[in-house]
Amino acid sequence: MIPVLLLTGFLGSGKTTLLSHLLRQRDFSRTAIIINEFGEIGLDHELVEKSDDSVIALSTGCLCCKVRGDLVETLADLLRRRDAGAVPPFTRVVIETSGLADPAPILQTLMTDSTIAERLVLDGVVTTVDAVNGAATLAREAISVKQVAVADRLVVTKSDLADAAQPALHGRLAALNAGAPVLQAQHGAIDPQLLFNAGPYDPCTKSLDVRAWLGEGAHDHQHERHDAEIQTYAIVRTAPIHAVTLTLLLETLAEHCGADLLRLKGIVNIAESPDRPAVIHGVQHVFHAPTFLPRWPSADRRSRIVMITRGIPQAWIEALIDALEAEVAEVSEERH
Amino acid sequence: MSAAANDLTCELLKQSLIAWRLAGSVERKGDGAIEVSCSEIDIRIERAPSDLPFRWMVTLGRRQRGAISLPAVLRQVREALDPDYARNKVRVAISSLVPS
Repeated sequence: MIPVLLLTGFLGSGKTTLLSHLLRQRDFSRTAIIINEFGEIGLDHELVEKSDDSVIALSTGCLCCKVRGDLVETLADLLRRRDAGAVPPFTRVVIETSGLADPAPILQTLMTDSTIAERLVLDGVVTTVDAVNGAATLAREAISVKQVAVADRLVVTKSDLADAAQPALHGRLAALNAGAPVLQAQHGAIDPQLLFNAGPYDPCTKSLDVRAWLGEGAHDHQHERHDAEIQTYAIVRTAPIHAVTLTLLLETLAEHCGADLLRLKGIVNIAESPDRPAVIHGVQHVFHAPTFLPRWPSADRRSRIVMITRGIPQAWIEALIDALEAEVAEVSEERH
Repeated sequence: MSAAANDLTCELLKQSLIAWRLAGSVERKGDGAIEVSCSEIDIRIERAPSDLPFRWMVTLGRRQRGAISLPAVLRQVREALDPDYARNKVRVAISSLVPS
């Protein structure tokens, strides 16, 4: 499986500068880059200087709307050329979205397209935020809010140009996405290792780091963050949850929340599988099938589900789990 | 239905109205049924008779429908109360979250 990193961020937030820096790093070699440029005349790919063992492909059109097929075709073509030896045997893919792209449908495409899904695994979402204009952009542009909300890593760029420590920006980022580590890049410079392995699986060590993926440092101490548009909170349950309850929960969330469920990720203590927790991940109404880990990653055996939503009350989710679990338990008792 | 389960169902319906941004009320009736009222629409929710293949009966006006689970109850309630509701169907990803 080849990990795919989605690099997103609003127009002018420093994605291409970051990418240019990364491509010069040894740790970032053997990487295939797909640059999405929205418009007839693309420039970004001209600005990226690649190493000999990396490959750059260009995808035109806005990834998030009508031409998602273009992304799939580009990825499939890259894989074909890799198999044929026509391009270096890249071990990682980075998709740089256009600044106006909604990342959620792109994530869904990576999750659901049969052409590519069997060979690619989502490594995570990295979102760049401009230290100088980021706060104003977040106040003005709804799409930039969404880009921040779904991120696994946030990279504040142009810190060298900003006057102070940008407390307002950092406060907004924490409100939008408490679980994502906030990294700093100056002139695009950042340690590539900080960006890798933003998903639950580390392809280098072939190990799982679910705790980091869930951003639990943030959620341990503050279970709910409020923003005018986006709410991030963690559902924490001590008692195990029946497998059927989890299925009904995910179906109900998909059915009623749709696009307002920006992202969900979690580890769940399943009553029928006490020693092997389930890892869940969803973007809007698209969910991965739960993956059962071989063992608990730590002594903490509580179910923890991080929800990033637009206006879905935590109290509703809690009430839904309580009621579903009671109904499932009742049915189970009736059958015995 | 146990009193505890009834309480949880009531609470779920109350929280559902809030989540769906619908102004209404949820009330438990003396016979154990639950009544949801919103925009002059009254919906009665009660346990189905044991000889029917449903867990719940949902009555709206003179129409009564069965529901096999709470998610099915929620769907019927929302379809009745929320004219803008467009149901999303869950889609399961093909790709792995973690390589096998």
